[in-house]
Amino acid sequence: METGRETAIRDNDLSRRGPTPAAVARRYRASQRLKAVAGLIGLCLLLWILTPHFLTVANALNVMEQTSINAIVAVGMTFVIISGGIDLSVGSLVALSGVVLASALKSGWPIPLALAAGLGVGAATGLLNGVVIAFGRLPPFIMTLGMMSVARGAALLVTDGRPISGFDAGFRSIATGRVFGVPAPIVLTLAIYAVAHFVLSRTRFGRYVYGIGGNEEATRLSGVNVRFHKTMVYVVSGVTSAIAAVLLTARLNTAQPIAGIMYELDAIAAVVIGGTSLSGGEGNLGGTLIGALTMGVLRNGLNLLGVSSFLQQLVIGMVIIVAVLVDVLVKEKRA
Amino acid sequence: MMMKIRRTQRPQRPQRKVFSEACARVALVINRRKISFAVLAAFAFFVVGCNRGGDTTTSTAKPRVALVLKTLNSPFFNDMQRGAQAAATRLNVDLVVQAAEREIDVERQMQIIENVLQTGVKALCLTPSGSREVVPAVVKANRANIPVVIVDTRLDKAAADEAGAKIVSFIGSDNYEGGRIAAKFIVDISRATNGKANVAVLEGIPGHETGDSRLRGFKDGIKDTPGVRIVASQPANWERDQGFNVFQNTLQAHPEIDTLFACNDMMALGAIEAIRAAGKTGSIRVVGFDAVEDARKAIKDGTMLGSVAQFPDEMGRLAVENAVHAIKGEPVEADAKVRIELITKENVK
Amino acid sequence: MIDHAPGTPVLEMRGIRKVFPGVVALDGVDFDLRAGEVHVLLGENGAGKSTLMKILSGAYTKDAGDVFIDGAPVSIGSPRDAQSLGIATIYQELSLVPQLTVAENILLGHEPSRAGVIDRAAMRDAARRSLAEVGLDLDPDRRLDRLGIAEQQMVEVAKALFRRARVLVMDEPTSALTAREIDRLFDVIRRVTAAGVAVVYISHRMRELAEIGTRVTVLRDGRAVGTFPLPETSFDALIRLMANREVRDHFPRRRCKAGDELLRLEHVSGPSGAPRVDDVSLTVCRGEIVGLAGLLGAGRTELARLVFGADRPSSGRVVVSGRDVTPKTPRQAIAAGIGFLPEDRKRHGLVLMRSVGENIGLPSLARWSRAGVVSGRTEHETAERWVTELRIKTPTVAERVVRLSGGTQQKVVLARWLAADASLLVMDEPTRGVDVGAKVEIYELMNRLTDAGAGILMISSELPEVLGMSDRIYVMRHGRIQAELDAASASEERVLQAALGLAS
Repeated sequence: METGRETAIRDNDLSRRGPTPAAVARRYRASQRLKAVAGLIGLCLLLWILTPHFLTVANALNVMEQTSINAIVAVGMTFVIISGGIDLSVGSLVALSGVVLASALKSGWPIPLALAAGLGVGAATGLLNGVVIAFGRLPPFIMTLGMMSVARGAALLVTDGRPISGFDAGFRSIATGRVFGVPAPIVLTLAIYAVAHFVLSRTRFGRYVYGIGGNEEATRLSGVNVRFHKTMVYVVSGVTSAIAAVLLTARLNTAQPIAGIMYELDAIAAVVIGGTSLSGGEGNLGGTLIGALTMGVLRNGLNLLGVSSFLQQLVIGMVIIVAVLVDVLVKEKRA
Repeated sequence: MMMKIRRTQRPQRPQRKVFSEACARVALVINRRKISFAVLAAFAFFVVGCNRGGDTTTSTAKPRVALVLKTLNSPFFNDMQRGAQAAATRLNVDLVVQAAEREIDVERQMQIIENVLQTGVKALCLTPSGSREVVPAVVKANRANIPVVIVDTRLDKAAADEAGAKIVSFIGSDNYEGGRIAAKFIVDISRATNGKANVAVLEGIPGHETGDSRLRGFKDGIKDTPGVRIVASQPANWERDQGFNVFQNTLQAHPEIDTLFACNDMMALGAIEAIRAAGKTGSIRVVGFDAVEDARKAIKDGTMLGSVAQFPDEMGRLAVENAVHAIKGEPVEADAKVRIELITKENVK
Repeated sequence: MIDHAPGTPVLEMRGIRKVFPGVVALDGVDFDLRAGEVHVLLGENGAGKSTLMKILSGAYTKDAGDVFIDGAPVSIGSPRDAQSLGIATIYQELSLVPQLTVAENILLGHEPSRAGVIDRAAMRDAARRSLAEVGLDLDPDRRLDRLGIAEQQMVEVAKALFRRARVLVMDEPTSALTAREIDRLFDVIRRVTAAGVAVVYISHRMRELAEIGTRVTVLRDGRAVGTFPLPETSFDALIRLMANREVRDHFPRRRCKAGDELLRLEHVSGPSGAPRVDDVSLTVCRGEIVGLAGLLGAGRTELARLVFGADRPSSGRVVVSGRDVTPKTPRQAIAAGIGFLPEDRKRHGLVLMRSVGENIGLPSLARWSRAGVVSGRTEHETAERWVTELRIKTPTVAERVVRLSGGTQQKVVLARWLAADASLLVMDEPTRGVDVGAKVEIYELMNRLTDAGAGILMISSELPEVLGMSDRIYVMRHGRIQAELDAASASEERVLQAALGLAS
């Protein structure tokens, strides 16, 4: 009888013929995305059957535009969650970056400088989160929970609780403009996803984010500067929150200190619907984008159907639970 | 365990294994899809079942009117919805009511407006969550030639003018006048305490037109009575629980307070609980705004002395009526005032 | 000590079959267990031992076959069923609650109570009785996490006895124990078997079989290939059966001439705070395997972590090729050409969810990238090269590490350091949890590495491994080097004596 062992060793040759890891990883990610996409397509089909107003170009652009803010916040959240952390401060950061940006605009700063100020505040707050988490070893949940309140308070202080509104058309065009007929927020969102996807899948930083989330100690013992890269993850989250703030401010023509309440939960929901595990080390941005779209389509569809706001919340909550539950069950079956 | 066993299995049939794994993967996807579809279908029946009244009428000739409120978890807007619904039934209009989960969530309200505009509504009635922020959404309605009726909270004039937003009608009570009525009442009852009153004020969300007007009216109303002075003024963001907390803290800081004016009843009702907790029931005079049902009860009980009543049901009725006028191309009253009335123990129902 | 006469077996499993999608895990396995015996299950990883035991403990359900207890057919559908039939399993990872006391753990779920209030005195008494059965004199009120691993394991046995277990399944119970603790555990096993409990014992350690086993059943590829009485059967015969081939030499060390000095530790102590390593000086030369022996807790792992910069030494120098590198971080150690194979691969070595290629590349990405962007080609080609070179059994380099066996995982960690050009490898228990065949392969790799001029500092708790593979041996005790021995003239006795501090 031929033994399994010797053939197994010869079977090694398989690896040489096998596809490149990048190709396999791509296929694996594609299969993961496929599942999320299937859910989204199913949802769209259902809405198409239920209401004639759903499947129109105007409404499709509408949904994507409405999704853009959550989708952008969810980019940073994806980085953070893959690294094994959580960022509860994103909603408050949206508010803080927004009011700083608005104050700068109102004091007559040129637009690029005001944008830099808004993004800078987001990055700096993210840096503070990251430093305390990575160097001070505070659990991310605690640090960002605290920051959620700190940033909110700062936003209220800066504005004395009042919204800042009325910007010139040049600034507002960030939200109202069109690029080749496509609303600017959609273009901006796709651009951010393209860049972020490249960073996550092709750069050293991206690899380390997965490594830190999968096994922080093993990554450290591989000579990776874990603290630095962990810090950077929160900076990314701060910056994407600030970008979302720019968009929100331009869209509403107002920056409110009470903006962005509960955005953290929407972002986390988009990430987990997209198949990223809250325990870290796994996930991808394609899934997150689909997750955000799923939430957007659901909200839009429920509006179109004229469902009461109470029932809407119930349905959205159930969809989040069911989507993640199915994911868990499928993974369990495969393991 | 499984993995290890697969490892020994692999050498014999590598091709088939890869193939079978692929099949398994496809099966899982299909399987999951099935689950998703089943779940979605269940939701669909649920949703449609719950809203049959709303959706089955789309095919009929009834014109559809949207009423987008700030929120639905407030008696004020519930009353408005009731009044609007009654008018809609009477006028044979299909009314769709939508609201954000949170009253302050302007971005969400804007999304809702954008979404309902897609559903072929003939007119939009709107209570803006933010007087400046919803202006772009109103512009969108204008572009779609859908007449807009604004209810309760005015659009910010500067912002609306700048964006070219047009509305056919505003329906609301004069909140400034309401504030003055509350002030006059407090001046009247403070005669019992030698014309003196140490007043605490609970404000709404800062920067909101409604709250600001009420507060302005109130301040103007007590201006000429030196004995009545405001010793503390804090926002409690329209909410009952915040009204409780904020007033509890205020009482700690200012034990001399003997009168409270709250810019809505929710905050007043929260404050009444705080007064009860402090054992000061009966020694602090409470005046609210809106005269919601719980407030009326409190007035009967004597824990609240008065509340300025608006008539949200009337606002709802007028909104739908004006919307229908606009749809038919009939002239519409551009600024419709709804009466205001002080409710006290004498006239409470 | 035990009556070996065949009576009615307590437990009999007949024709057990278990199929996972596409794979036959167990193919008609027969197994029987008599009261009072220790029946060893032997087999390589993946042979089906764990599957068989999981069917017995109710974690899996069988696809075919029958299970009899005392000759009567039973069905085990869940762990609860197994428990009520008197079957208890003690896993490698203990299933106790560290925050509870010994007594609370033993009686978990069976707390004596009066009117809903736990009767602490009765609980303590019951716990004490169970502890006495295993010959353990422990305070039932101590928190479990204050106990050593061995004591925790015995508490687990006591817990099983409290639940009137008649069949005790022990899966690699000695893997984390020192020699002395193993002796104590064996005492406990003898005590419970004398009382009629039957034990199924799974272990990779051949030496333990002779000491504790009554019979042995060898599993291979999902089949039982034979059951033998224990002291009479030779190890070589058993190993032949397991692997179905002759393993002529367990420790195929080819000694080569030691070259230049590669690593020198000068009076290294630390880490600060709790100094576990105390004034250690040693050397490793090119082409040399230096063994580091000692009892658990002697400070060997701590020393390895200091050398690698995982912890900071409080004093002393680490010199590599004549240059003082005393690393403050693993990064610096890696830059100096040091690689570290940690004892606990899953916790400290590998990112289990990521691919073989990513795990191999982790320390080398900086060299393989330009402007922060990783060259996918370099990464892929290097990973492929080492997978082929080390014969890492994975379908592709994109396979997730979690799906590989222990030996294969260890090779992935090794490949990582070879890809990073490490010339000095610090290996902490390199063959723990690795099956016999893969062990030999790892030894062969160590030979090839030293042939190529690398130096290896190897920590091992298995004396035959230390003696068989090392050129020189340092023995540690209480954080200090107790003895330095030449492997050629060392014996197990001398190493043990030094480790125990009995003689120098």
